[in-house]
Amino acid sequence: MTLLKGSVAMPRDNDSAFLLDKHKRGLQNLDRMARYPLDETVDMLIVGAGAGGGVLAQRLARAGWRVVVLERGPFWDPDRDWVSDEKGSSGLYWTENRIISGNDPIQMGKNNSGVGVGGSMTHFAGYTPRLHPSDFETRTRDGVGVDWPISYWELQESFERVERELPVAGEFWPWGDPHGYPHGPHPVAGAASVAWQGARNHGIEMRVGPVAITNGVFGNRPHCIYRGFCLEGCKVNAKASPLITHFPDAVERGCEIRADSMATRVEVDDATGRISGVTYMTDGKERFQRAAAVAVCGYAIETPRLLLNSACPRHPNGLGNNDDQVGRYVMVQGATQTAARFPEMLRMYKAPPPEISSEQFYETDERRGFARGFSIQTISPMPIGWAEHVLAEGHWGQGLREYMRDYNHWTVLGILAEFLPQPENRVTLADVKDANGMPVAHFNYNMCENDHAIVDFASDILDKIWDGARAQDTLTIDRYAHLVGGARMGFSPDDSVVDSNHRVWGVDNLFVVDGAVLPTQGAANPALVIMALADRCAGLLAKKRAA
Amino acid sequence: MNVEEARPDPHDLPKQRAGITPQMVGRYPTYDVLSQTSHWDETTRRVVLDRVENVPPIEFFTEGEALTLDAFCNIVTAQDSEPRIAVLNYIDEKLQRGERDGWRFFDMPDDDELWRLVARGLDEEARHHAHDSFADAPVETQVGIVHRFSKADLHGGVWEQVNLSRAFSVVMRYVAQAFYGHPWAWNEIGFGGPAYPRGYGAFGSPHLGEEESWEADESAHYDPVRDVRQRGLD
Ligand SMILES: Cc1cc2nc3c(=O)[nH]c(=O)nc-3n(C[C@H](O)[C@H](O)[C@H](O)COP(=O)(O)OP(=O)(O)OC[C@H]3O[C@@H](n4cnc5c(N)ncnc54)[C@H](O)[C@@H]3O)c2cc1C
Ligand code: SF4
Repeated sequence: MTLLKGSVAMPRDNDSAFLLDKHKRGLQNLDRMARYPLDETVDMLIVGAGAGGGVLAQRLARAGWRVVVLERGPFWDPDRDWVSDEKGSSGLYWTENRIISGNDPIQMGKNNSGVGVGGSMTHFAGYTPRLHPSDFETRTRDGVGVDWPISYWELQESFERVERELPVAGEFWPWGDPHGYPHGPHPVAGAASVAWQGARNHGIEMRVGPVAITNGVFGNRPHCIYRGFCLEGCKVNAKASPLITHFPDAVERGCEIRADSMATRVEVDDATGRISGVTYMTDGKERFQRAAAVAVCGYAIETPRLLLNSACPRHPNGLGNNDDQVGRYVMVQGATQTAARFPEMLRMYKAPPPEISSEQFYETDERRGFARGFSIQTISPMPIGWAEHVLAEGHWGQGLREYMRDYNHWTVLGILAEFLPQPENRVTLADVKDANGMPVAHFNYNMCENDHAIVDFASDILDKIWDGARAQDTLTIDRYAHLVGGARMGFSPDDSVVDSNHRVWGVDNLFVVDGAVLPTQGAANPALVIMALADRCAGLLAKKRAA
Repeated sequence: MNVEEARPDPHDLPKQRAGITPQMVGRYPTYDVLSQTSHWDETTRRVVLDRVENVPPIEFFTEGEALTLDAFCNIVTAQDSEPRIAVLNYIDEKLQRGERDGWRFFDMPDDDELWRLVARGLDEEARHHAHDSFADAPVETQVGIVHRFSKADLHGGVWEQVNLSRAFSVVMRYVAQAFYGHPWAWNEIGFGGPAYPRGYGAFGSPHLGEEESWEADESAHYDPVRDVRQRGLD
């Protein structure tokens, strides 16, 4: 293994890492941020400052567009707002009400979505694998899911560009389209090293990374200090999120970010049928920003919610929903976790939770009896997260206390299983309303047979790995992660919500640029592909305008 | 798990010598995470010390509800003696502030309503056993009721209004956040606590089990899986 220390290639068109301060974590150029009047028709109004919205904003601002971003949550300053503490980090999550149902109801909040500038990536774990080429044509290859209207190769350069910007650290990646990373692999902590040994003993290949965590000099962003609080927001600026990877540059290029601003409706001009702007709530007051185009980047739950809530005479069922497609095909990944006990002290709270992973079981293997596959990754819960494992096993009272006292002997491996897109796994508007009087999202979810088969098979593999590592005992919990879909990209209005350029069918100047557009999800964590899609979309938009 | 489980721990775990743990037992008798506060950043220090120094008063629950639920929280966290982490106070604070975890099952009431229902249900159940309220019942009865709650085996009255296993999982989530968010519990389990700006140099690479100078070693070894089994508690 070669350890590449320091930056190999700084990104060319993004100065974010240099615009930050070495010793202060918040943005340093906010006093220079542009302010656009409400009645000025800005070139692009973006709803949501997350993975998709962040990259889109930076790219378009660079291309000279007047861009405004509306973000429901605060403009984070990690020094001031974030703590090195599990319970104290609940403000990072979208904790407003959402209703869940179905045979396999999906728990929200800290399990899947964030709020504030940086979006869910402020508290994402940090894994940034690419999708595989096969993910773009599962229908053709495996007879399941759906093909994308674009191929892997149309995103390849975007993957590389974003990997340089985050930057991604890891070993050479042998799976999918084999590739290297700009930063070398991080050292592996004790808790992950026992898992690795177990995998090796069973002939399962694992690799270090890929994680969006600096491993060397990167502008003014410091090196990771291995404190383990990645899911609580990185107070070091070592782990990437758009807050530090894209918004410093966007602000420098004339983008305005309006934090604490909740979009409630995308408005359509009845006469022309074009989008005229967005109505939003800030400080208890309603505002309307004019815009020549709007991009909704609010996450797989909030994006369909906003489109559905924007129903108007021309679009009585919601925007982009003439063919009843909005909110459908929302996907989660099966994220079963198996914890294992060892006689040694592993202290899994140290070092970033994302350390090593395997994509050996990613592709379809007909002998397994199901289509598609899963990946395997380390995750290391903090005490409250660990208590959830113990509670899920039915322990309380002395049993709970005793398992918890044993925390330092345990370590955890998880799977990411590719669940298939299904039309009835759907976001709709609930009867319940939020404080602004906007109906909250209702998310219904049922696993299908193939989903169950993958999880069963993958759980056995986890058991094998722990067996190979000579674990004394194991605990397994079923959970789900990473919501995508709900406004998917496709070939025609009756199979999707947006076209291959992210444009909403039937509404000329409305775009969706976030995880909601994914037609399938593979067994890779979604943040990198969301950013890569935003990079590609921005390139197409800028080129079109230049022409 | 059976009823035995929630009884006072028969084990002779070492007594805590440094700092405080709930009931002053734990596996790290010389470890006090609160001796490390000078290494924490100010924002984190304020948030964590507040939990110890400024226990929030009960504002959301009525006096009667608080008595019942306090007894419930002590049973489910096996807090049979002082010092106790004031679990219910932190839950009350969260509900009073209107904070939630971000979702609700379609067939469940809002979390604040659920907590009040649970209080009523526990009292009703205690009355079936001829006690005035859950708080007035002897520990054995309380443990028995909680055991049946955990198995979704309570019937009639309030319990017909909710999905019991969901109800138990919702309230236990609040309990776990309050208990294991508290530094006394970190002392008990040997968790390093806040780690900014210091970070870690010794994280088991390349030497498994290596420790920072300030991390205390474990002085009692039990495998809970085997232990819980041996004591017939599973
Ligand atoms: C605990 C956890 C761990 C994760 N780990 C990983 C990982 O290791 N690797 C990985 O790739 N992914 C991970 N993810 C998932 C990843 O973070 C998300 O998939 C990704 O950030 C989604 O991008 P997005 O652009 O769709 O939405 P987001 O990044 O969530 O951004 C959406 C933004 O829009 C805002 N918004 C929504 N509606 C409105 C509105 N109406 N008005 C104004 N603003 C609005 C939200 O506040 C939010 O800031 C993790 C997620 C969680 C919760
Ligand atoms: S472990 Fe590294 S990347 Fe994760 S929060 Fe700490 S410093 Fe940031």
